[in-house]
Amino acid sequence: MTAPSQARRELYGSRQVYEPHKASLPPMGPYLREFWRRRRFAYELSRTTQKADNFDSKLGSIWLVLNPLLLATVYFLLIEVISQSSSGLAGFLHIVIGLFTWYFVAGCISLGATSVTSGGKLILNQSFPRALLPLSSVISAFLRYLPTIPVYLVMYSIGLLIVPASNTGSKALMRPSWAMLWHPALMVILSITGFGLAMIFATMTVYFRDTNKFLAYMLRMWLYLSPVLFTVDALKAKMDHVSIFGVHLGNILIYANPLGPALGIMGDVWVKGVAPAPVLVGAAIAWALVLLFGGAWIFISRERDFAVRL
Amino acid sequence: MLSDSEFAVRLEHLTIRYRTTYESNPTLKGAMLKFGRGRGEKRRKVRVVEAVKDVSFGVPHGTVLGIVGSNGAGKSTLMRAVAGILPPSEGRITVDGRVSTLLALGVGFNGFLSGRENIMLGCLAAGLEMDEIALKYEQITEFAELGDFIDMPMRTYSSGMYGRLAFAVSVNMDPDILLIDEALSAGDARFKEKSFNKMKELCAQARTIFIVSHALGTIQELCTDAIWMNQGELIKRGSPEEITESYLRFLKVGPSAIAMEDV
Repeated sequence: MTAPSQARRELYGSRQVYEPHKASLPPMGPYLREFWRRRRFAYELSRTTQKADNFDSKLGSIWLVLNPLLLATVYFLLIEVISQSSSGLAGFLHIVIGLFTWYFVAGCISLGATSVTSGGKLILNQSFPRALLPLSSVISAFLRYLPTIPVYLVMYSIGLLIVPASNTGSKALMRPSWAMLWHPALMVILSITGFGLAMIFATMTVYFRDTNKFLAYMLRMWLYLSPVLFTVDALKAKMDHVSIFGVHLGNILIYANPLGPALGIMGDVWVKGVAPAPVLVGAAIAWALVLLFGGAWIFISRERDFAVRL
Repeated sequence: MLSDSEFAVRLEHLTIRYRTTYESNPTLKGAMLKFGRGRGEKRRKVRVVEAVKDVSFGVPHGTVLGIVGSNGAGKSTLMRAVAGILPPSEGRITVDGRVSTLLALGVGFNGFLSGRENIMLGCLAAGLEMDEIALKYEQITEFAELGDFIDMPMRTYSSGMYGRLAFAVSVNMDPDILLIDEALSAGDARFKEKSFNKMKELCAQARTIFIVSHALGTIQELCTDAIWMNQGELIKRGSPEEITESYLRFLKVGPSAIAMEDV
């Protein structure tokens, strides 16, 4: 081995100055450069962590598909029994895609919340842009989400074969449409939103360890308040008679909810089979950007404090 | 006086404070209890620990700096600050070069992952590219001599194997500045000698190295410069012989065989 060459020095940006700070952003240029250079770390961390998590499980990664499927069945039964409106197989399939997508975002949030507190050893011993940890949570959530796509496509194809035969009026709801090609764009929006939320909840957990305990209940309520088990229209119809300060409660529930517009897009695309309403797309993108920049600010301005608090 | 660019590491009036509370973790219950206790009652006690107090020194490139001091002297805190892990509370740290750390708590290893995966993660976190890591991987495994264990989960490792891998990763990262905290005690006698030789090799390459060790013999043999810290303060700086002698006199044990050996 030779002494580090000048070129190498330059490559690794040789000079760092550490000074006291009070919740302020570090120089963002170098931060983002280092962040981007180590993106592979975020990926490998989530890949290997997932592998480590399945270490003790017999069924291993099959649980990634089994989990949302079982949940979908539970919710389907719940809705069928409580609402007594039979939406049949089509209704079931809508709930399934809704829950698969919801669990991607919920995964971003719940994995993100503990990403910093569980990365204690790494944080105490290595200096790197900490935002890579919540990013790794988003990647983990996405890796978990991936196997549900083929599962859903198979279910949907089977549904298409069966539903036209049953004459329950749900035939209109099972209509493959080009609008479904919006789904990848929706996933991009949800990933950005999820990254923002992961950073916010990661920071909250560092200062407030109980966040993680509340999170399970919070996510459950969030799910019920989001257009996942219901479409935007159904939610609005349900809240028809209520308004606060002249604003329709249904609208508040959808647009004040960071995930409302994005999950509303999903309903438009998968349930109605139409291109999403522009106002939903606009609101979804706006929420994604607000949460990304807001979350980044909250996280990055405090991340140098994390090592002291672990 | 050296100019700014000739220092590898420069500390100016560095102070690092930890705020510790008597509650082990900040929780909502604690916050509510604190809230409930009100003003007049005894509130949650916050103790500010000054781990490093107003320390200033510059280290020119190529220096092998030994840091000695009793437990709780602030040695590890100082190392973490130089590595950019702990932010200064006051003062300023300027570091010229890439830092590799080998700190007392291990290198962020996940026990469920194999040694191979942990090496990869460590290297990626340090900012290496995949093709660089492939090269490093050979050097690291060869140095650590773990055999088949390299592909086994790290929770099956003995503490000696763990330390060997940590040391191998750290010294093979080609750092400009290497920070080593109590690492030479890793492994058996043979590996100890090997790592000692590796350290000598690195020291001879005009790299900047910080060594925290209670093995004063190591400090005397490897270092070109030394500091002695006590309770967060820089007591003295000087040649390794001078510093270890003062430190031992302070400990009132004299240069006995026990303190000179790696315990």
